[in-house]
Amino acid sequence: MNNPIIRTEHAAKTYTVGEITTSALKDVSLEILQGSFTCIVGPSGHGKSTLMHLIGGLDRPSSGKIYIGDTEISTIVNSDLARLRGQRIGFVFQFFNLLQGLTARENIEIAMMLAGVAEPEQRERAEKLLALVGLAEKAGSKPGQLSGGQQQRVAIARALANDPDILLLDEPTGNLDSVAEAEILNLLQALHRQGKTVVIVTHSDEVAKRAERIIRVKDGLIAA
Amino acid sequence: MTLTKLVFKNITRRRGRFVFTLLGITIGIASFVTFMSMGGSLKKEIYRETAALGANLVVIPKGSCGYEQLSILTGDQMPTNISAAEVTSIRAIKGVTVVPFLAQQSAINNKPVTVSGIEPAATLDFKRWEISAGRYFQSPDENGVMLGSAAARQFELKPGGSVTIRGEILPILGILGETGGRDDATIFLPLPLAQRLFNAADNVSYAAIRVENLAETERYIEEIRVATGLGVVSDKQMLQSVLSIVGTVNITLQMIAAVAVIAAAFGIVNTMMAATYERKREIGILQALGARRRTIFTLFMLESGFYGLIGGLTGVIFGLATATLATPYISQNAFTTLVKGSGSGSLLDLNIIISSIFFSALVAIIAGLYPAWKAARLTPVEAISYE
Repeated sequence: MNNPIIRTEHAAKTYTVGEITTSALKDVSLEILQGSFTCIVGPSGHGKSTLMHLIGGLDRPSSGKIYIGDTEISTIVNSDLARLRGQRIGFVFQFFNLLQGLTARENIEIAMMLAGVAEPEQRERAEKLLALVGLAEKAGSKPGQLSGGQQQRVAIARALANDPDILLLDEPTGNLDSVAEAEILNLLQALHRQGKTVVIVTHSDEVAKRAERIIRVKDGLIAA
Repeated sequence: MTLTKLVFKNITRRRGRFVFTLLGITIGIASFVTFMSMGGSLKKEIYRETAALGANLVVIPKGSCGYEQLSILTGDQMPTNISAAEVTSIRAIKGVTVVPFLAQQSAINNKPVTVSGIEPAATLDFKRWEISAGRYFQSPDENGVMLGSAAARQFELKPGGSVTIRGEILPILGILGETGGRDDATIFLPLPLAQRLFNAADNVSYAAIRVENLAETERYIEEIRVATGLGVVSDKQMLQSVLSIVGTVNITLQMIAAVAVIAAAFGIVNTMMAATYERKREIGILQALGARRRTIFTLFMLESGFYGLIGGLTGVIFGLATATLATPYISQNAFTTLVKGSGSGSLLDLNIIISSIFFSALVAIIAGLYPAWKAARLTPVEAISYE
């Protein structure tokens, strides 16, 4: 229960646009334990999202190492990294990022399709997940027909599709009213109690209050 | 959910763009199929007409080119400068059967019709015609006409009636049985009558010759050339030169169609590039959900391939429909008259259908390569951060 599931060693990320090099993240070393509920907080533009992209395998560090479990993900090939994202990490984004042309159920099925799950099983599991997030009756609705809170719950159900160890959420309540925010946070706490490792990037104090641990990022570094 | 279903949903989500891109490829393939079908039908007809002519050799005016040879097969008007004396000297050569023809055009109810002056007895023997109604010419210079079966049908004529050719009213003696060739669409007159009506003196347009010994064809050709100084071609040479003219026309038409298909391919590139930009964020989402680069590449390739396949199918349908509907309206000239004469059924060629759909899919797949590559090389964070 107390093994680190996410680990960074001197992770740094710089971006070069033309001749200008920007350092988004400087020398970050941290450990996030399995089954924990962690919030990464800090002002906008200080490297929170970059950190989340790195630990989620969406981007690679310019230097340093990132581990998911025992796997050093900063050097593995793209296809292995994609497989790891699909199977061990569930992403939830601020703007829900559901595919607009698909129904709620199909949005969840996509994640399983990419992991090679057969169609009947996709459907069965997608319906169970929609029931879990309280949206069983909205399976056939497209994102445009759902409220912000409902869309985010679909996004969480999608993140859970391949039963990942880790849920990585980037400002999951940033676009929601307080009622929807509370619902989402309750859902995340329930998932945490079931053993999921929850990592939320946020600048909301309301969200941070629910966390077991808070990691503060400032100027690309972990603040004390 | 499967990748194919996702592709279908993506395509049909933007119906307007889907329809317009599809129209581009449909029009390209349709023109390709139309030209291919007509070209194919033209070739078949040339083989049939050459066989129907029933000659081993054809004597044509000196200096004639392939176009005159084509006119023999199409029943087009030809120069008439082979004299009766020249025909007689060919006849003097041992082992040849000579049948002269005067090839002219006239009009009935403002519609063009082929008129052919013949030596009744010799031609009947040569062509082995059957008579389906009325009777055949009874003398070499009888005042009357015989109708090919299609000409009789087209102008609703029957024996006992009459036709006006060059201002002269001529009785219809009979109708020939179906030959399957150009003769069906021709009106036959005895040679002296035709020569008088068309002011051809005692000249003819060409002479069809059958030789006794096929192995000595070259010798006969040489003898005729020496005796008359006229042009002589064998049926095989005539077939070759006519096919080469038609081949050139076909290739030109197919190149025009290929340009249309290539233009349509750029339509696909355009649509797919737009899709790559518009769906950048979606690509990022899919990557975050575990899609590999190969999957993104396949997704886009399937999408453009789908355009090619559907566009190919609709193009074939429209192309065949156009070929079938347009054929009767093609204006009368040496190249198109043969197509006009052929039945629409012969336009359906399985090879053309399959190769057109394959060509369409291939072009679409090639067109999809660059957009798919562009989509697949997006990094997840670049795609997901796209606003």
